[in-house]
Amino acid sequence: MAESKLDLLQGTLDLMVLQTLAAMGSLHGYGIARRIEQVSGDEVLLNQGTIYASLVRLLQRGWISAEWGTSENNRKARFYSITADGRKQLAEDAKYWQRLSDVMGRVLSMESDGGE
Amino acid sequence: MVSARELRNRLRSFFRKDPLDRELEEELASHLRLAVDENIAHGMSAEEARRQALIRFGGVQQARERQREARGLPWLDEMMQDIRFATRQSARKPGFALVAILTLTLGIGANTAIFTLTHALLLSGLPVPDAGRLVRVVIHVRGGKREMNNVPLSLSMIEFVQRRADAFSGVFGWSVYDFVLKDNGVSRGRRGAVVSGNAFDVLGLHAAAGRLLSPADDQPGGGPDGWAAVISYRLWMDQYHGDPAVVGRHVTVTDHGVTIVGVAPEGFEGVIVAEHPDLYLPIEFSAALNDNEKQLHEGGMMWLTAFARLKPGVDREQAQAEVATLFPSMLDALLPPGIRHLPEVEHSTLDVDAARTGWSPLRMEYTKPLLLLQVLVGVVLLICCANLSGLFLARASARQQEFAIRGALGAGRRRLMRQLLVESMMLAVPGALLGVGLAWLAGPWMLRGIANPRAQVSLSTRPDFAVLAITAACACLCALLFGMAPAWAASRTNFETALRSTRSRISGGTALARRLFIPFQVALSLALVVVAALLGATVVHLRTEDSGFRMQNVIFYYADFGRLQQRGVDLLTLYRRIMMRMEEKPGVDAASVTDILPYYGWIDRDSFTAAADALHSKTMDADVSEIGAHYFAALGTRILAGRDLRNDDGDLHSCIVNERAAALYFPHGPVLGQTLHDVEHNLRTGTTTVRDCQIVGVVQNTKYDTVREAPPAIVYRPISKQMVVGLFFVIHARSLVEARAAYHSTMQELAPDSPETDPATFVQLFNDSAARDQLLSAMSGFFAVLALLLSGIGIYGLVAWNVSQRTTEIGVRMALGATRGRVFVMVLRQIAVLLATGLVAGGIASYFAAQSVHSFLYEIEAEDPRVFALAAGVLVVIGLAAAAIPARRAMRVEPMQALRAE
Repeated sequence: MAESKLDLLQGTLDLMVLQTLAAMGSLHGYGIARRIEQVSGDEVLLNQGTIYASLVRLLQRGWISAEWGTSENNRKARFYSITADGRKQLAEDAKYWQRLSDVMGRVLSMESDGGE
Repeated sequence: MVSARELRNRLRSFFRKDPLDRELEEELASHLRLAVDENIAHGMSAEEARRQALIRFGGVQQARERQREARGLPWLDEMMQDIRFATRQSARKPGFALVAILTLTLGIGANTAIFTLTHALLLSGLPVPDAGRLVRVVIHVRGGKREMNNVPLSLSMIEFVQRRADAFSGVFGWSVYDFVLKDNGVSRGRRGAVVSGNAFDVLGLHAAAGRLLSPADDQPGGGPDGWAAVISYRLWMDQYHGDPAVVGRHVTVTDHGVTIVGVAPEGFEGVIVAEHPDLYLPIEFSAALNDNEKQLHEGGMMWLTAFARLKPGVDREQAQAEVATLFPSMLDALLPPGIRHLPEVEHSTLDVDAARTGWSPLRMEYTKPLLLLQVLVGVVLLICCANLSGLFLARASARQQEFAIRGALGAGRRRLMRQLLVESMMLAVPGALLGVGLAWLAGPWMLRGIANPRAQVSLSTRPDFAVLAITAACACLCALLFGMAPAWAASRTNFETALRSTRSRISGGTALARRLFIPFQVALSLALVVVAALLGATVVHLRTEDSGFRMQNVIFYYADFGRLQQRGVDLLTLYRRIMMRMEEKPGVDAASVTDILPYYGWIDRDSFTAAADALHSKTMDADVSEIGAHYFAALGTRILAGRDLRNDDGDLHSCIVNERAAALYFPHGPVLGQTLHDVEHNLRTGTTTVRDCQIVGVVQNTKYDTVREAPPAIVYRPISKQMVVGLFFVIHARSLVEARAAYHSTMQELAPDSPETDPATFVQLFNDSAARDQLLSAMSGFFAVLALLLSGIGIYGLVAWNVSQRTTEIGVRMALGATRGRVFVMVLRQIAVLLATGLVAGGIASYFAAQSVHSFLYEIEAEDPRVFALAAGVLVVIGLAAAAIPARRAMRVEPMQALRAE
């Protein structure tokens, strides 16, 4: 059971990374991590380091590409951007998440109604 | 789900660790720099900025590990680590690894060797399409006086089945046949087969060149190409170098002109296992060779193995049912009335047996022994595994602290178990490889145990793919079995306790499990030793009992006189002249002829009575042998009363009986000078004839057709002009060289036109007849020794380990006044209890094991208490000897040193 829970978390982070890259264009690892933190506010407590496992996984699936470059403050960094395959995957995953959260919302609200 | 692209990338990452790691390091450094920059920009001090950056990042090492896991093949990485670690472990204790690998080599090697034989003889399928639908149509005679299994069919029976049965798409007959192939003036004996014209068609084979035989070839006098022959692929390559022009070539096969019409497909070796035919000719050709066309179709000679292919949708049971209902009408149609209702015929059934693997007469004799050997080697393998489990457990307990430390550092229990399994695999794999090598070497040696000289050269003893697969499975199974116990123990290690204690301890449960291996091994070993002792005693009995023969320096030659001009009386005279001439040769003691080779499995049996009114008296059967003068002198059989037969016509109505026949026919009175009536029913004509002979001598009892029988009643008759084909010369000389020389020079003088034949020495005939017993006894003896050796090692290992664990305790005892002798006894007592437990369990196991080999025994009871006592004694001696070595070490423990060590 621990396995499937981990999968879900992994998938979640992967999806966040894809969405960030789709919205922001090319970004380095630190940038992606910061962006996710900012967007989610304090809701997600992300160890920034975990993002690199996610990035390498997405790279190997061919959903993102990577390239060394220079940041705005002139630091050398590895920049990631989403590929066409990645966009397709993002659309699919986003739809799935949307459906899942809809269903969850309905199920949970049904429970609170029945409780009265 | 891992996509192909991802897998490819992961594989690539696996092999490019270093550059990828460097890139990751750079990236992580760059991440931290960016974070520090931003924090400083927010007004933190440099030190605080770095601290915050690291906190936000989480564990750097963890991030590294997770990235590596995500990109590569983590399980493979871990496996490599395990393997490297296991290699270091083995390198540190090479003795341990050596013993383990050697044990496995012997265990797996023995299994592979036996399985190679089993596979070649019993399991390997014929290389024809849909071999599973091939069946053998065969007669079994069950019940009644004499059981006969796997009786071949006559050609007319096969034709009857072909005509009347609906279950088969084709039926064909097959018989092994030896030919002389003469091509370009060079003659060479070749093995072959005569087959029905439709045989290749029913088998579903296609020619490698030219065409295969067809029913049109299988006609009296041959087909459109005259006599047509198909040659084997091997002969095509060896003798004709794969030349396609061989098709249509005219050759001579056993004095008959034959056309080679095609080449059989590569790898096809006929349907009789362990025969490698090089020439296939139609069955009609054999009639031409023997000049008996009429007999082939009308005669009752049952000599063909019948194969058939089931029609689609028909299974073997249905075919069986159909054939069974056909059988009575087949017998009515084909058998003369005199034979039709004999008890043997009434008890016979026509059966449809599976023939996916073809058939071999060797199977009748060797199926059970091979299966027995297979079980025995399986037991040896079990003992090996028990032994290794014991060794591994001992080592695991010595390594408990290591496990505890690794556990404390975060290695999961599963990881530890896997480590141990990898370690066992690392011993099992080299063990398996060496075992296959051993089997490779031992194969030919083992085959020598199988009597049939053809089988010796033609059975494959080289492990093939199926055998290697089994070996690999064996190795994995062993690794699992002997890795399991320590892995299980390791998984139960309590890390904290283990870390705290200075001396490794083992939980009570594991110690018990470890001790249980000893009785287990002892029990299995005892069973093996008992079986080996029984089989060994069998061979000793066979070899040492008085057979009534003297076998040294006796040689037999087949008299191949079929092509001589002489017939009848002239031939009889020739035999007599040859016998007498041979005896004049230097070194020859006696020379004679006989129609029955002793120990060869041939039987000639007639019904006799001593009563005056022979036609209406009850007859009794005796074995018959037609012999020349000096036969008994040549074979060393004593003449007890009366005289030998003479080489002249004066003795044509004389005969000699052995003691058993004398007692059978003349239980009360004198034997010499009495008349014995040979009552013969001619089954074809329904008439009965009586032949009288006067007994002129009584000889000692001897065996007749096999080594295993009790000496039967035998009546010896002189050779006569009616019985002068198929005789064997027998010569006893000072040496075999002189015997051979006498044969050759006499034949050159008196029968220069007859072909020379291969001799068989008497010793060889005996050995062939006892081959199965010798094979069983030698192999089971070897396995028993192996089992004893392994048990010895196991016991030694346990006691040595025990002593090392109890050094302190022994020191305390000695300090408190225990003598060295008592320490020695204390250590031995423990092993004695285990031995006793094993012997009790083993006694029960041995009883059943002995019962199961009952049918292989000769002149020894399966329950013989001497055998059990001897086997138990051997085990006790070996067990105590193995325990005594470490026990002596315990005796030499210095109390002060032992105490200080704590």
